[in-house]
Formats: sequence, structure tokens, C-alpha cells
Amino acid sequence: MKKVTVPEQSLGEKVVKHAAAIRVAMKESVYPLTATVFYPRERKKMPDNFRGYLMFDPDKCISCWECAFVCPANAIQMKEAPNKRYYPTVDYGKCIFCHFCVDSCSGGALKTTKIHDVAYKDMGEMLTLTEEMIEEPEIIREDKKLVEYEIDEQDLHLKRTREVDTLFVEVTPPVEIPMVSQCIEPGSCLGCRICEEMCESGAISSIIERQVIKMAIDRDKCTGCGLCVKECSMQILRLVRK
Amino acid sequence: MIDINTVITGLGIEGNQVSVPLIQQMLDLLPEIPMIKLLISFILWKPFFAALICPGFATLGILLLFFPWIERKLCGRIQWRVGPHEIVWWLGGIIQLLADSLRFLFQEVIVHKDAHRPYFLQFPFLTFIPALLPLLFIPAGNIVAIETPYAIQIILAVICLFPLFILGLGWASNSRFAFIGTVREAFMYFAYEVPFIIAVLGMIILYGTSDPVGIANKQSIWGIILNPVAALTFFIAAAMATSRMPFEIAEADQELAAGPHVEYSGIAFGLIYVLCYEKAYVLAGLMTILFLGGGSGPEIAGLGDLSGVIWFLLKTLIVLTTLFVLRTIYPRYRLDQGLSIGWGAMLSLSLIALALSIALAQVGVI
Amino acid sequence: MEGDDKDRNIRILHSGVLTPLRRWGTKWSLWPCHFVTSCCGVELAHAFACGFDGERLGTLNMGISRQANFIIVEGTITRKMARALRIVWEQMPDPKFVNVIGACGQRGGIFWNSYNITRPSEIVPVDFFIPGCPITPEGLLRGVRAVQEKIEGRDRTTIKFKTAALPSEEGKENRIPTTAKIFAPTPAIRVDVPKEVDWDFGREMVKNLKAQLGDVYKSITITDKNRIAIKTTPENLVKVARKLSDTMGIDHAKNVNVIDVPHERKFIVEYMVSSYREELMPVIITIFTEIGREAEPVLSSLTALWESGDYSEREMHDFFGIRFEGNEGMNRKFLLAPETETPLRKDFKLEEERYVLEDGTPFAPAIELPSDLKMPLSEGLLEEAEKSDDFVVLIGPHHTGSGHLRWIMRMKGDVIVDVIPDPGYVHRSMEKLAENRLYIQNIPLFERANISDPINMNLGYVRAIEKALGIEVPERAKYIRTMMAELSRMGAFFYDSGIFSLFTGHSTGFMYVWAIREMILEAIVRMTGSRCTPSFIIPGGIRRDISDDVLNMTSNFTSAVNKRLQKFEDIFIYNPVFVARAKGVGVLTREEAIRYGIVGPFLRASGVDYDIRKVEPYEVYDKLDWEVTTGDAGDCLGRYMGRYEEIKQSLRILKQAVDALKEMPRGDVISEEVLGEYKEASKDIKGHLFHAYGNLVLPRGEWTSVIEAGRGTLLYSILSDGESNVPYRVRVVTPCWMNLRGIIEASKGERVADFWTIYGSFGYFPPEADR
Repeated sequence: MKKVTVPEQSLGEKVVKHAAAIRVAMKESVYPLTATVFYPRERKKMPDNFRGYLMFDPDKCISCWECAFVCPANAIQMKEAPNKRYYPTVDYGKCIFCHFCVDSCSGGALKTTKIHDVAYKDMGEMLTLTEEMIEEPEIIREDKKLVEYEIDEQDLHLKRTREVDTLFVEVTPPVEIPMVSQCIEPGSCLGCRICEEMCESGAISSIIERQVIKMAIDRDKCTGCGLCVKECSMQILRLVRK
Repeated sequence: MIDINTVITGLGIEGNQVSVPLIQQMLDLLPEIPMIKLLISFILWKPFFAALICPGFATLGILLLFFPWIERKLCGRIQWRVGPHEIVWWLGGIIQLLADSLRFLFQEVIVHKDAHRPYFLQFPFLTFIPALLPLLFIPAGNIVAIETPYAIQIILAVICLFPLFILGLGWASNSRFAFIGTVREAFMYFAYEVPFIIAVLGMIILYGTSDPVGIANKQSIWGIILNPVAALTFFIAAAMATSRMPFEIAEADQELAAGPHVEYSGIAFGLIYVLCYEKAYVLAGLMTILFLGGGSGPEIAGLGDLSGVIWFLLKTLIVLTTLFVLRTIYPRYRLDQGLSIGWGAMLSLSLIALALSIALAQVGVI
Repeated sequence: MEGDDKDRNIRILHSGVLTPLRRWGTKWSLWPCHFVTSCCGVELAHAFACGFDGERLGTLNMGISRQANFIIVEGTITRKMARALRIVWEQMPDPKFVNVIGACGQRGGIFWNSYNITRPSEIVPVDFFIPGCPITPEGLLRGVRAVQEKIEGRDRTTIKFKTAALPSEEGKENRIPTTAKIFAPTPAIRVDVPKEVDWDFGREMVKNLKAQLGDVYKSITITDKNRIAIKTTPENLVKVARKLSDTMGIDHAKNVNVIDVPHERKFIVEYMVSSYREELMPVIITIFTEIGREAEPVLSSLTALWESGDYSEREMHDFFGIRFEGNEGMNRKFLLAPETETPLRKDFKLEEERYVLEDGTPFAPAIELPSDLKMPLSEGLLEEAEKSDDFVVLIGPHHTGSGHLRWIMRMKGDVIVDVIPDPGYVHRSMEKLAENRLYIQNIPLFERANISDPINMNLGYVRAIEKALGIEVPERAKYIRTMMAELSRMGAFFYDSGIFSLFTGHSTGFMYVWAIREMILEAIVRMTGSRCTPSFIIPGGIRRDISDDVLNMTSNFTSAVNKRLQKFEDIFIYNPVFVARAKGVGVLTREEAIRYGIVGPFLRASGVDYDIRKVEPYEVYDKLDWEVTTGDAGDCLGRYMGRYEEIKQSLRILKQAVDALKEMPRGDVISEEVLGEYKEASKDIKGHLFHAYGNLVLPRGEWTSVIEAGRGTLLYSILSDGESNVPYRVRVVTPCWMNLRGIIEASKGERVADFWTIYGSFGYFPPEADR
């Protein structure tokens, strides 16, 4: 335990402290430790893991809806594409940039960019549709220099370089954990075919055998999205290791 | 055809001119066009020059346009930032205040329904009287608009009128914050005014005259060295009078939302905004005369009388800057602390200064 | 509202003579009105502090609406605040502009279905919207530039998307999945689920309690280590409390909580109480009782015994309509706007999420705006003040020195008679929202309570979950969490120092600490990718490991900070004017501090040696070498110096944690227990967050965690029914909410200007208090 005492200042100390305060001001007026980034003429370098605007790659998307499910702000809503699959749209009027969606995207279809300084004149425009998230957007930029914060053992330094930072980063894909849907109790199956209707990759099919509906899961086609598992009315589907 | 020279002599302009050898040489080169000569002699007529150019309106105008910029830049620098910059970034945003004043000029002026409308609108303009009048008595070098042996007393008297108008502003606003701010202003007014006057009186006793040009001439050793106590008292009182930190008690942005000025908008606020700069300018000018030797300084070749003007302005500017940079160094005192400093420490200091002055005058330093 | 037109100001600027001058002047002189309504204000401060310096663009922050011409709406506008926004906007002279920053002010962000928010764009005409939560300073300045360009005549959105073709090969028709949330149809609610723990002291204590309480209790259960639940009847509640207070020295209430169980037609009312006697410090005793679920049930208040529960009782009155007999604050809404009725009862439903985009506009619930612009004062206040010749001033919610709450100050001359708080201007209904979100989704939610101290907010919540699940966190993750928690604590302190120095009128102090904060944020952004809202700590560990570069940088920070800190000390802390302002002002003695329920460094400044990091160590605080700081002065300076010393200890902790991390081999950062099937993700959760956490279900019972956040004790209490993957009830008691009472009591009898010194010394952060 450490007792903290309150400074008692005698007249002499007061004079010394006044002088110290004035000295700081005088010194800073000559050699200031300025730490200002001249945005918009300069741009501060953000790390590659910066959580900014999202980009989307439909080829990697397995339409598992997890981005929409995990979004705490309900900013991601799915929209049906011409191929009848559902892809995410982002409403930046709700998005809180927590990137739970990026961290939930097992295929790595969502990725981050370093875009974060955008002004919209209309709230309606803040909805970004799937087709707009695929290619790199253009933002109005006035920066000619890049500023990087460097902290060494002495102080904070601003390193300025005359370059224009690219806002799009390469990201490493997530660790692949191949999962597949499996029926653990086929005997309990009602044959409601919800799983078949759910499956966006067409891995689940039904065969009518002697007037009994039997479901089959194509292990190769199954992306392990887990939608069938979630929706199964009898809760007899499980995700297991491939 | 009237003879120009007769006019000039007839008006008493002749012989009371600002003599600037450099300009004189150029003037001599000009062909004899009567109107121009009349105009130039008129401008260079000392009283007129003082009232209109320096230390009068033109200087004040330029100062109001650029001094807040200097202040903001310097404070920004001390605070590890840059201050106004992007407006013309290669000049460091030097015309920032022009933009601000244009904006204020064109903005709506709101008179809220609780305000006392006539006074609410009159006071921002009326306040210019005490702000501008003293400039007629303050000499820049040896140029002064009205020469009188009682100049210092007149300046003091006019400056003391100042808070009354602030009280008027606050009273006309009829807002609770303005009310508290006004009361604080009134309290502070008495706290600094007494030591302030005593300190100035001390200097008058020391110099044996209250003619500012005379005072400036008498300072072979600057007043600040002769009587540093008086200088300190004067400086602190000036900080109190212009509501500078640590005595920005009446306005107290975080407490009272700018106190008396809270309801003003548009150009009315613009006028109030520059008011404290005007007051500070007058006080800094007075300080320059009383303690820093007025316009004395090494003669700048070819400038003649203007040399004194430049030295005067330079010193005033330094005092002003010091006064305004205080806000980066200090937080603000509480009202009761401000009052106890005024009535306690400052009053004692001013009395010591007075005693010191009397002693020095007796010894006959000057 | 009706008749507002967002281009009206542009037309004003473009009319009449001298149009170019008007335009030019306005363009470079946009003075934003100080409209800090919630957490985006922190980033606004960064944008106008030395890191980015908004003043460069001619935008000088101005506190007074009459003199400003630009409102930057910083996030949430609650029902209470909506009135203020409209009033301020109407007070401003034409031409005026409005920017809305942050998702809350647009379609609601994470609070999109809250019962207490409105949309600024429906209240005032808005020129630009800047997305982000919070926005970055760059985003804010981009908004300023956009307004400047609009004045010049180029009104445009600053991003252009390119439309690409989507895959168009024919596929099969798909079914739309149902919600990911699972609600138990008839949740089994029990507060006192017994748990076998290795805790002899507790068993001894239960025995003693049983003997002492005699017949006034119904049952006494050990629910977890250091947690005891006592069940009693409503009639005996006061008796139990009195016994505990008299015989055991239980001296403060940490929490007052109500749980609505509509299907059993009852409310469970619980008081979590504890003692600052050394041996009892870690123990939290829950006294609970059940009362009938009526329109306005009545229960006797315990404020006579534990005044610290006062404001929480008032809050519960707002939320559930329970009347606490004996509490003075039952006559008016305390936290909520007058038109909101008992929102935390289970039959008050919020809008459900929609996962499919319909008709091209994202779903956002309809929000009704307040009908009148006046917030009522409590009845008879003005008349009474007039009788006793007091002067009443309303400070806030829009005032340079109010923060986002309203203070009703009664003064006699220059002396404060009473300060009545009117909080709730940033009440964003976190507790209600948490009942409707997955456990994992609540992480960003609670973090938003306080983005000046986000990691501690996050950590407390996650620790409650871990406690319930009984997960052990990997060593490396523990060190990283500790490191980040200390960075966050420093961030909170520097935030408060900045606000404190502004409140005393010292803008340089503000700028200096903001430069240090900029360094802290740089470290956090490199670790997590977000400046203020990392959401980085998840149950079982952290989202991913951090790189060596960042560790080096953080290590350098511990020594680099000294240079700037020294200057800050010279110009602010030891500045004689500041010392004169803060010394001997707002003194709270040890007894008073305990009675009013002050927590954290402010309690320690009054001489109570209570720091949860020592009392009930979590993460790796017990392995590191550091000291608790206490003081005896109990005044503003004492509180401030105490915290300052604490930050030096934080630097010590930080240094040790970073050094340990540098030597430690890289390994798992997420516990495999919680990942289950997805244990390959134990180094980086990327790609598997929802898989691993989407269906997280907590065991039945109430799980309470306390941690030492930047401003004091942070308590989370999660009630789970054991079947749903959403919590049944989450109660969060933030330190600022507890400290509110302290500000008021310390202010009485002081000078008017002292109020801001006291307010600043308590580091009050309204979004954290209002939640």
C-alpha cells in the first residue's frame, strides 16, 4: 500500500513551481513537441489490421448467414443475388466496425480495408449493396504525405514520407476447419425437407423410397455452413469434422 | 486658387508633422500636385496621424485582424498543435481572423425575447467609447493625438469606465449565466482597480509628471527596473482587467458559458470578441509607456519619428503576447481567490510599489 | 421535424450582395457548438486536440450555441437529449450546419432497437453523416471538409462505389433461416443456484449467518466462491439488512437489482452488499426477496442503512415501476424521459432483428419523437428555492462544463446549497438490449458504455461469462489482457485529466494529456485494429495474438511517456494555481465516502484500502509487483494525485507484463475448452467466431463479476436460465453511476466554481453512468 500525500506548497515552492510552468511554456514555444497530423493533406498510417470499410468476395462466400447473425447492430442484412443465393449488404448507418462478421466469415469472403473517413450527404446512401462491396471503392483524398507514429524509448515521433498510402490490404485467409453436416439419428427424421430447402450449396437432397422421404448429405458439396443444423426441426443434425 | 502652404500653416499643421526622412525624400521627388501634398501633410499631421494611424484606428484594426491569429498560433504551438493553418497554408493561415469576422458580419443577430432590446443592441457599440478614447492620449514615440499633462489620469478614468459597459451587456442579456458573470465582473472590478490605480499613481510620483511623452523621455532606466513591484502589480491587474487566465473569472467558459456574452450572436458578438483585445491593447500601451520606456530605442535610420512608433508597437506587442499566452500556462482562480489576491496580495504589492516610488523619488533617481 | 430544409442555409449564403465573401467567410469559420452527446465526443476531442488539431481548418470549438454555426452531433440522441438538440439548433443564428457523426445518430448503430434513442436527422436538418462507432478523427475532419465544399457549392458524398456483377448462374430457391437466438419458452429463473466450491471461510460464514439471522431468512446458499445468497421475505428484508449491517459491519450496497419473472407473476428484488472490513472485502452477499408482479409493487427501501443504494433504487423504480418506500426519489423519473414506462419489464418488447434486406432499405424501427421541448423540473423546486432566497441555475445538458447531464444547482450567493442531478441524457438502455442479444453480441454493446476505458468494460463482462463457464484462460492471453487493461486504465485517467484541466480552464493540460492518449490509442489500434472500441477480449481469451512490433512499441511507451508527463506535471499538476483550486475542496471523509458508495480511486483517496486487483485478483495482477495507492486527504487534489500515482503503478504493471510477454513463447490465446470443435482457432479466432460462440449458453444461475475499472468497481451480474443463448438479465453497475452521489455530497457548501473542480476530480463519464 502506498500513501499518497497532497503537495504542500510554501511561498518559495510556489515561486519555483510558477517558474517551472512558465519555463515549460517558453520552451514549448521555441521547440514544441508538436504531434499534429495535417489531415486532410496528410494521412496517418493505419495498421494493416485496421477495422474499416468492408469488402466482399462472392466466390468465397458460402452464404452461411453468420455475418448477419453475429452482427450486433443488425447492420448486415442478406440480399438475394441473381443466382438465388443470399449475400450480405452493409448499412454503414448502423455498422459499428466491430468486425465480428469478418471474424465469423469462415471462407474469408469478407475483408477489411483502411477506409474510415467518409461523409455521406444522405442517409439512404449509407446502405452498401453486395455488388458495391466487390470492387475497391474510391474516396475523395487530398493527402500527399503519409505520417507514421513511431514511439521509441524517448518520445513519440511523427515520421513523414511523401507517399500515398494504399487503403486496401492483403489478408491471410482464416484457418480452415473443415466441417460437414451429419445426421446423427436418421430414424427420427420427419422428412420435412427444411434442411434441403436451407442448403444453399445443394448438398442435401431427398429421395423418396417406398413413400418415405430419406435425406442424403453430399459430403463433398457440403460447406459446413451449419444452417441445416440450426434449422432442423428435430435437432438431429450435427456439424462434425470432415 | 488657395495656396496650399497657407492652408497648411493656417491649420497649424506645419511644424507639427511626423518627420520621416525616407518618406520626405520620396515626397520631394513627387511633382507638385497640391491635393496630394495637402493630403500627405494632413496625414502626417501628428494628432491626426496618432488618432488615425498609430496608435489609433489603423494600427488597432490591423492588430485586431492579426493579433488573435498570433495568439492562436502561439498558444497552439505551446500546446503541441498548430492553430489556424489551412486557410492559406503556405502562410500559416494568417488571414483566419478575416474569415471569422466576415462570418460574424454576415451572420444573423439574434435578440432573444427576454433581452432588453435597446440596451442589448446598444451596449456592444457603446463599449467602444472606453476602448477607443484612451488611444487619443497614448503616445507612440512622440506622436500623440491630444497632448495634455493629465493624460495618464484621463486614460485611467476612461479605462475604469470599461467594466460598467460589460455590466450593461450582462444586464441587458437577462440570462442567468450572464447575471452570475456580471456579478463576478463587478466584484473583480473593485478588486483590481484599487491596486491598479495605486501602482500607476506610484509611477506618476516617481516620474514627477503624468504626461506620457514626458514619462517616456524620463526613462533613461526603464520603469520596470526602477520599480519592478509596480510593474508586476500593473501586469497582474492588467490580466485581471482583461479577464486573462488565471483571472478569467467573469467569463469562465466552462462554468458560465462566457458569462456576460452568453446571449450575443453575429456581429454583436464579433464586437464583444474584439473588445478584450482592444482593452488589452490600451493597457499594454500604458504599460509600455510607464514601464518600458515608451517609444525609446535605438534610432532606425531613415525613419525619423516612425522609429519611435515601431519601438512602441514592438514593446506593446510583446506585452500583449505575454498577457495572452498566460492562458496556456494557468488554470483559472476561483472568484473568492481572485478577490483575496486583489484585495490582499495585490493591494499590499501596490502599496509597497508606492512606497518604493516615493523613496526613489526622494533619492532623486530621475 | 416539419419544415426543415437542409439546403436552406446554402440558399441564405448564396443570396444578396457579397455572396463570395459570405461563402468564403463561412467556409473557413465553421465553429462547432459543443454538442458532446455520447462516446463519439472522445474522438471529437481527439480531432480537436493536438493529434489532429481541427482548429487548423478554422473550426474553433465554441461552447455557446449563439456564437457557433455548426453542430457536430456526437452519436446518440436520446429521448431526453432530443429536446436539447432542437433547442440548441434553434438558438443558433443562421446560416448553420449540422453533421452527425457515429452510427448511433444515423440508424442507431448498436442501439438501433433501443427504447430510448431517436434519430437526429428527424429532429434537425442534417448536412452530412459520418459512419463509424466511434468515428475516427479523420472521419470527423472529412465531414468538416465536406461541409466546406458544400458551402462552395459541391454537395457530395465522399465515397464512390463501383458496381460489379454478381454471379448469375441459376441456383435453387433457398429458404430464409430463422433467428439465431434461442429463448427458453418458460425460463427457470433462480438467483441462488448452489455451487460446490472450495471455500471454508464461506461455509463458516454461512453457519454464523444462520445463527445470527435466526428466523428472518428463508435460505442461505453459497452460489460461488465469495458469493452468498440470502433469501428472505419482503417483510423481513429490512430486518436481515439491519442484522447484517449491525453485526457483520456490512457497510455498502454494490448493486440493487430487479428481475422480472412474468410467467411466475413475481419480481425478484436483490441487494448485493459488501463490507470494507478487510476480511469481508471480497465477499458479496446477495439479499433477495420475491414480490408480486403488480402495476406498482411496494417494498421498503434500504437507503436508511445503505445510502449507496439510493440511485440504483431510483433507477429500478424507473425500469420496473417498483416503489421503494422511504426513498425520496420516487416521485419523478430519474434516468428515463417522462414518456417512457417501465421498459425493463419483460412484456415491454423491442423490435426483432431482420436478416433479409427488404425493399432496398435497411430495417430500422419507427421512433416517436418527444412532443414538447421542455424537460420538467421536480415539482415545487422553484417555489421552494424562491422562498429560501436561493438562485437556481440549470446547467446542461448542453453546457460547456456540464457533460451530458443536467445539474440543477441551487446557490446562495457564491455558495452551493444543493446540486440535484438529472441524469439519463445518454441512457441507451444497455441492460434491456443485452436481454435481446447473444452473449457474444453484448461484448461490443457494453464496451460502448465507456469508450474512454473500453477494455475494462469488455473484460468485466467477459469475466462474468468465464466465471459461469469455469474456463481457465491461457497464460499468454492473461498477460495480454492485463497489459491492455492497464493501457485502458491510463487512457481513462488521461481522459479525465484532460477534462479536469478544461474544467479549471487550463486548455494546455488538456492538450498535453491528449497527446499521451494519442500514443495509447496508437498502441491499441495496432493491437486490435480499432482506436476506441476494440471488442478484443472474448470468453476464453482474446481475438488474436499481437505482434512483437506492437509489444516493443508498448514497452517503449512506458519510458517515452515520461518526457511528456514531466511537462504535464510542471504546467498543470504542480501549478500553484491548480493546487490552490483543488486543495481542500470537496472533502469526503472515509465514513462519508463509504456511506455514499464512492468506488475506486476516489474511495481510496479517502483512505479505504480497497482495490479489487488485490482483494480478488484476476488475470495476472497477483503475479506482478505493484502497490495500491491510498490517501487521507479526500479532497479534489487528493483524489487526483491518488489516481496519478496509480497511473505510475500502471506503468509499472505494463512494463512487467510486456517484458513477460516478450519472453513468453507464442502459444494459444483462446482456451480450447470454450472453442470445443474449433480448437485450431485457438491462436486466432478469425473465421470461426460465430461457430464457436454463437450458441454459447451459460449454466443456470446468477454470475457476478467485479473488476477494478479505470474509475472504480465495475460490477456485472448475468442471470442465465441455462437454456437460452441470450442472457435473461444483465445488470451492470458502473463506477461513475456510484460516484454520482459523491459529486453531489462533496459539492454542498462549496463555492460555485468548485463544483467543476469536484466534478472534474471524480472523472465522471456520463455514458458510463447512464449506460
